[in-house]
Amino acid sequence: MSLTRLLRHETILAVLLAAALIVLAGQSDKFFTTDNLLNQGRLMAEVGLVALPMTFIIVTGGIDLSVGSIFGLAAILLGVFWKNLGFPLPVAMIAAVLVGGIGGLVNGVIITRFRVPPLIATLATLALYRGLAEGISQARSVRGYPDWFFVFGQGELLGVPSQLWLLVILAIAAAVMLGLTTFGRTVYAIGSNETAARFSGLHVDRAKMVIYGCSGLVAGLAGVIFVSRVSTTRSDMGTGLELDVITAVVLGGTSIFGGRGTIIGTALGLALMQALKDGLSLSGVKGDGTIVVIGLVLIAAVLIGNLLSRNGDG
Amino acid sequence: MYKTMILAFGLSGALALAGAGRALADSPWTGGDSLPTNPLACDNTPGTAAAMPYDGGQPTGAPDLKGKKITVVDVPKLIGIGYFNATSKGIADAAKELGNVDVKTDGPTKANIDEQITFLDNYITSGVNGILFAANDPVAIAPVLKKALGKGIHVVGYDANSTPDAREWFVNQAQFNGIAKAMVDNMAKEIGEDGSFAIVTSTFTTPNQARWISEMAAYQAKCHPKMKWLETVEAQEDNILSFNQANTLINKYGDDLKGIFGMTSVATPASADAVTQSGKCGKIAVVGLATPNAMKPYVAKDCVKSVVLWNPIDLGYAAMYVLRAAADGDLKPGATSVKAGKLGELQIINGSEVLLGAPFIFTKDNINNFDF
Repeated sequence: MSLTRLLRHETILAVLLAAALIVLAGQSDKFFTTDNLLNQGRLMAEVGLVALPMTFIIVTGGIDLSVGSIFGLAAILLGVFWKNLGFPLPVAMIAAVLVGGIGGLVNGVIITRFRVPPLIATLATLALYRGLAEGISQARSVRGYPDWFFVFGQGELLGVPSQLWLLVILAIAAAVMLGLTTFGRTVYAIGSNETAARFSGLHVDRAKMVIYGCSGLVAGLAGVIFVSRVSTTRSDMGTGLELDVITAVVLGGTSIFGGRGTIIGTALGLALMQALKDGLSLSGVKGDGTIVVIGLVLIAAVLIGNLLSRNGDG
Repeated sequence: MYKTMILAFGLSGALALAGAGRALADSPWTGGDSLPTNPLACDNTPGTAAAMPYDGGQPTGAPDLKGKKITVVDVPKLIGIGYFNATSKGIADAAKELGNVDVKTDGPTKANIDEQITFLDNYITSGVNGILFAANDPVAIAPVLKKALGKGIHVVGYDANSTPDAREWFVNQAQFNGIAKAMVDNMAKEIGEDGSFAIVTSTFTTPNQARWISEMAAYQAKCHPKMKWLETVEAQEDNILSFNQANTLINKYGDDLKGIFGMTSVATPASADAVTQSGKCGKIAVVGLATPNAMKPYVAKDCVKSVVLWNPIDLGYAAMYVLRAAADGDLKPGATSVKAGKLGELQIINGSEVLLGAPFIFTKDNINNFDF
């Protein structure tokens, strides 16, 4: 697949995003203010963070449905480690993120070792991790975090929300990794033709373990940031997160069959989704209307992607 | 090697479940919160409402809106269920009566705090003058409400409270201990002093349900000590889930289960439906909070003898009037009562709570007089 063909989907997406921004800015004068745009950046940071490793996963032709449950599990364990087991808060935060990583690694093991299709494996762990979160917490929430903890979710650095900085840094790192390193090339090869990749001597299983592990790790991180944003932990946090994340990734041009996709596309898809949700709400459309519009935009984007790749790429 | 890893993970998970679960329980019944309880007397002596200093939050830099037109958004726990349709109607009625209020109801389609926060955030940005809310989680909703107060927006809650400093006033449908007394007394009347019962609630952290369950536990321990609590299950204000949970309870406890408490207006009809469909009408009592329309068929068949509620239309109506009074500057911290249109003077208790009245019991004799 050549660079020109790749760029075409992302270019169309960028044009669509610009058009949406102009239309929505026209509908409400509060939409295109710095205040609002930065606030939307803050709100989309959790979905954005998880969408980065999800791009890698979907490019390999796999999927990870358990990210929402890992998010909730990490959020609950943060509270449990801190309040009930008495760890100091920084240690509890790191431990919660690591548990997310372990959850992702378990996904990787089930998928590579036991050859279970990713859809089934992560569907099972979705239920398993959510059940663990509910069971461990007994649905009690943990509150009363110290003030410095809220900097991650509610604070700002140079006027830009803290989680937005984190998102931008990780997005750049992910883009470099996917587009410019041999690891990225391995990921694309696995997605295009896994058997050929394996016989070419690429470490397919190791690459998969790494991306699923990272997905869990980042989901855990997003969970910790979310707790910091809402100042409490609940066992039902993150339900439905996987759908928002997958929508952003697929909207960005990543093919669900693998082999195609970029981080820039995911970033554009994410921005488009958030802009639609926010702009439509500001111009008076109620919640249900917004969901309909996002669904239509997703179908349109996927159709455009299919039309463009009709040139014998498959 | 991988198999041992997974086995170890699973075992540690199970152990964590067993250990940590026990460490976290505060209230004697699952589903209650850990705030102090204040059970009423076992006979019908009314409780005394303590006068406390004002503990709500105030908006900073709120513009002078006395007599001017204001835009208000109402964000309930979720939209699309009968109870919140009724509160919305009350809010709309009050807005029409006042004449200078432009109100819209919008909210998530599931009782999910993440989505509710996003809705509130968007409306804050769009510059409303007032927010009415019913919280899915009292602490999680506080940061976004405080942000609204910081931007000079008036914030009034109804049905489900937030932490007191995140809103100006909270319209409480009835005293928590009054609802608890009504529910437990009616259940004791139907299943006897040593019956066992289970509870179907929304989630264990929803503020109003958690308060009611704690107060019910305290009142039962005081006045009906021989009654036995079996289990509390979550049904998240979802019809199908409530029905399934009630069925699971019926199958799990068999003849031991004599009564089911429905803590939400969705759980009670669903539990009554489950009891009817498993043929245990009359053998398992269902007592709970529900809108009269949803319960009319079960009350007519004598499956359900009493339904506890208040008038949610009045609740919405009062909330709108309280917000208007706060925006006009007529309702200041330290006030002891507020005028709410056709409802007259409502008492202010516990510092910043406006009390709607006493809970109302719907029975076969009076349920047909109501239509909501």
